[in-house]
Amino acid sequence: MTTVDRGLDHAHDGAHDHGHHDVPYLTPKGGPIATVWDWMTTVDHKKIGVMYLFAVLFMFFIGGVLALALRIELLEPTRVVDGELQGAAFAMLAGGEAAGVASVGSVYNRIMTLHGAVMVFMFIVPGIPASLGNFFLPLQLGAKDVAFPKLNLTSWYVYLFGSLFGVSSMLMTGVDTGWTFYTPYSTTTDGQAQIVLMILAVFILGFSSIFTGLNFIVTTHKLRAPGLGWFDLPLFIWAIYATSIIQVLATPVIGVTFLLLLFERLFQIGIFDPGLGGDPVLFQHFFWFYSHPVVYVMILPAMGIISEVLAVFSRKKLFGYRAIAFSSLAIAGVSFLVWGHHMFTSQGELAAMIFSFLTFLVAIPTAVKVFNWIATLYKGSISFQTPMMYALAFLFLFSIGGLTGLPLGALSTDLHLHDSYFVVAHFHYVMFGGTVIAFLSGIHYWWPKMFGRMYDERWSHVGFWLVFVGFNLTFFTQFFLGTQGMPRRYVSYIDEFTLLHQISTYGSWILGLGFIVHLFVLLHSLVAGPKAPQNPWGALTMEWETDPIPVEHNFRHEPVATHGPYDFEDVVPPGCTEEQFPLPPKEEVRTAH
Amino acid sequence: MSTVTLAGINDLLIRLFFRDNASSEVASGLAGSDGLYLFIWWVGVFFFVLLMGLMFWFCWKYRRRPGVAPERSSSHNTALEITWSVVPTLILVVIFFWGFDGYLRSQMPAGHAEQIDTTALMWNWEMTYDNGGFSAETVTMGNKDAPVFYVPAGQPVQLRMSSKDVIHSFWVPDFRTKLDVMPNRYTPYQFTTEPLASGDPRVKTMDITKGELVLKDAQYRDHWIFCAEYCGDSHSEMVGVLRVVEPSVFKTWKETPAYGVIDPPDEVGEIVYKAKGCAVCHSVDGSNNTGPTWLNAYGKPVRFADGTELSQADLDADPFAWDNYIRESIILPHVKIHEGYANAMASYDGRLSDVEMRGLIAYIRSLSDTKPDTDEIPLYDFLNEQTEGEEVGGDTAEETADEPAPAAEGEG
Repeated sequence: MTTVDRGLDHAHDGAHDHGHHDVPYLTPKGGPIATVWDWMTTVDHKKIGVMYLFAVLFMFFIGGVLALALRIELLEPTRVVDGELQGAAFAMLAGGEAAGVASVGSVYNRIMTLHGAVMVFMFIVPGIPASLGNFFLPLQLGAKDVAFPKLNLTSWYVYLFGSLFGVSSMLMTGVDTGWTFYTPYSTTTDGQAQIVLMILAVFILGFSSIFTGLNFIVTTHKLRAPGLGWFDLPLFIWAIYATSIIQVLATPVIGVTFLLLLFERLFQIGIFDPGLGGDPVLFQHFFWFYSHPVVYVMILPAMGIISEVLAVFSRKKLFGYRAIAFSSLAIAGVSFLVWGHHMFTSQGELAAMIFSFLTFLVAIPTAVKVFNWIATLYKGSISFQTPMMYALAFLFLFSIGGLTGLPLGALSTDLHLHDSYFVVAHFHYVMFGGTVIAFLSGIHYWWPKMFGRMYDERWSHVGFWLVFVGFNLTFFTQFFLGTQGMPRRYVSYIDEFTLLHQISTYGSWILGLGFIVHLFVLLHSLVAGPKAPQNPWGALTMEWETDPIPVEHNFRHEPVATHGPYDFEDVVPPGCTEEQFPLPPKEEVRTAH
Repeated sequence: MSTVTLAGINDLLIRLFFRDNASSEVASGLAGSDGLYLFIWWVGVFFFVLLMGLMFWFCWKYRRRPGVAPERSSSHNTALEITWSVVPTLILVVIFFWGFDGYLRSQMPAGHAEQIDTTALMWNWEMTYDNGGFSAETVTMGNKDAPVFYVPAGQPVQLRMSSKDVIHSFWVPDFRTKLDVMPNRYTPYQFTTEPLASGDPRVKTMDITKGELVLKDAQYRDHWIFCAEYCGDSHSEMVGVLRVVEPSVFKTWKETPAYGVIDPPDEVGEIVYKAKGCAVCHSVDGSNNTGPTWLNAYGKPVRFADGTELSQADLDADPFAWDNYIRESIILPHVKIHEGYANAMASYDGRLSDVEMRGLIAYIRSLSDTKPDTDEIPLYDFLNEQTEGEEVGGDTAEETADEPAPAAEGEG
């Protein structure tokens, strides 16, 4: 891609102060108060993306602390926390008892619920699209902003507002329903106010998702730079685009479901409560009709990041670009038809058969993606900076996550593994080993562009290995706990499971340490990192064409696409020299064999 | 690799996965879905090693060297891409059918099963046997006492499960299957226990030697029961023990009253029928009344006033379809109106205890000619004497003599 001064950028936007055009977006506007006000009222997708990034990482921190608390409790077969407080994570119990709500025994259940709810609704669903997607979707499209900047700001405040409801529910001792809110437990358990707040939080957060998704769909359709056709789009865009479709179509369902749940709880209208003629399994259908597609809202953007990073760090065109692009859409489509595989133990034979079959159907495009990614490495020139390390770790962990999905999709084996630790391990390999690992890859990949500074590669490698080893220790053990009979959501267990639980807990400490190392590396980078060059990794997508820190309106000149996003064999990356990234000798065009 | 070695590895894997330490399930081959699980394991290992092998090999071979450009290569290969789409698809189809087949087998009702009524509630399991007896035994597990339920070895068992409150899930990991327990209907959990093996431990229990009730050592094998659907504060303590014993030991145990007396459910049902007003509208001799007669009703297809029906197919698919129909008609009588009758019945929701509900279902079933042969299982004389000695009404012994009948009614 080359930037061409088409004389356009001076012809529009007369309403804006031209002086701001050439200023890096991070440059403060006046004093502290003015700067804060500027950030609070900004419609700049980059600033909104950065605010989202810190918000979702903060939620990840809360969810992570809760997870560590759970692992500590599970060090011993009997309840550790039985009448006494252990650490800050359990401090909420004090408030709970004062409010006369929480029994001592439900502390674990509350923390378990909050870990799930925070991680799902406040971290991983908004996570990559709202932060990295917000920042880089317009940049990769060569656009000045998203299609509806004010809607974008609205979405951010809706997210804050929803999270506020969630956090206030937590401060009022939280809920103990499990993040799945299964009826009739969720309509009968104690804690009216907290549950209502948490349900409203999910309801409100849903609107944030819908707004963001809508915005991205329109932006992708309407704001592509000249020359940027659909099949010139980076695969990150394809992934975010498919994600947005799911968000817009599926999120209203959870909104309606949770409203019904709220009415059921407040007014006993009898939709889910069998005592009133309702059906408790109906809730599960509604819930998973949203919550299964949402699994792909979590993983598709991660796949997009991996596609970018693998191509850039092996300097190869992605193998099977169209297959990857279309498989994103295929996954988005089929994801709406597999919800019933969460309910093999509560439904009839015909339904179970159909859902099992469809579940295997959705596995195929996913497998194709993995094959394509690995084939991309072939004959590359592979370097191993932190983003690439995480991308390779993604392939390793996500393969395990995918393959362990097979015995869960098959009916007879699932009857054993359903609701066991096997499921817990499986979805952590997909959600953590997949999404979080890819998020880490993406954060390190785009960090120089977001903040204009490099980080210490050696220390972030230390962080990487701690995360990788810690993660596997924590969760690989849980596959065996599951097959041996350890059910989910148990605070106490039979003695035979003790050793595996202890290994898992020790692993979680190593994992936590890895994140602390990353945190310090990135904080150090913000304060004292060396200035980043315009294009440190030699990438060809448009976001690397602009300044080291993008200017307010992204590009000094309207960019025009003159090459594909992965033409590493033919194009010297913008801002780089051929010495840094040598090209292979020109050859006659070979036919694909 | 010779088959012996593979079998040895598989055996090791099964022990690693499922922790079956010399249990009978392993001795007699693979339990439940373990064969499929092993197959998936090997498929997974194959693909994981293949993919990661290629990944590490490429990463090493094509690592970046300063000044060296990547080699040119095609970014597209139709034959390769079709291959790696089709081959996994075929494997997935095999896994799907294998899993579906195993699932259907596990759902197939076994004939002449020992039927046990299983009730889940926050946070305990309760089982009532077909003679109205129940377990009073417990073992200590962590900081609570878990109930112990006896089942006969080498025989099919069918649990009729229902919940008093929220959704629970009945899971015996050793049987490799679980099923949700619902507050609004009965669900069937079926298994066939393996015969006891020589290595199984012994427990002091009552048995009969030459017609005498004696305390003696009996072999047993314990299986954990876990609740697998989150149900609140003490979810993780909602555990129990399923104790497999020889059928003769089981029989004695079942018919020894836990405290005092056992009320056969169909007898309870007959009393409820008269005392709670059912008899006002429902006859038991086939004559017509405000409501349909109960004679020969159980287990037959029913047509409803709104055109729907409880069909033979429904009855074949769900062993408790009629039980569910009775239960629903008692709690929500307006939902399914029997064809040819008016919507005249008031709800009995909250007016019948579990024992009474169970009794009514057993009573209605006892009035049906679908009752299977009752000539197996003779009753031990000493039990007749014992119950008579306790003076629990004159006809108790007689009724007890009849009561093995429901034991065999799991069939069909």
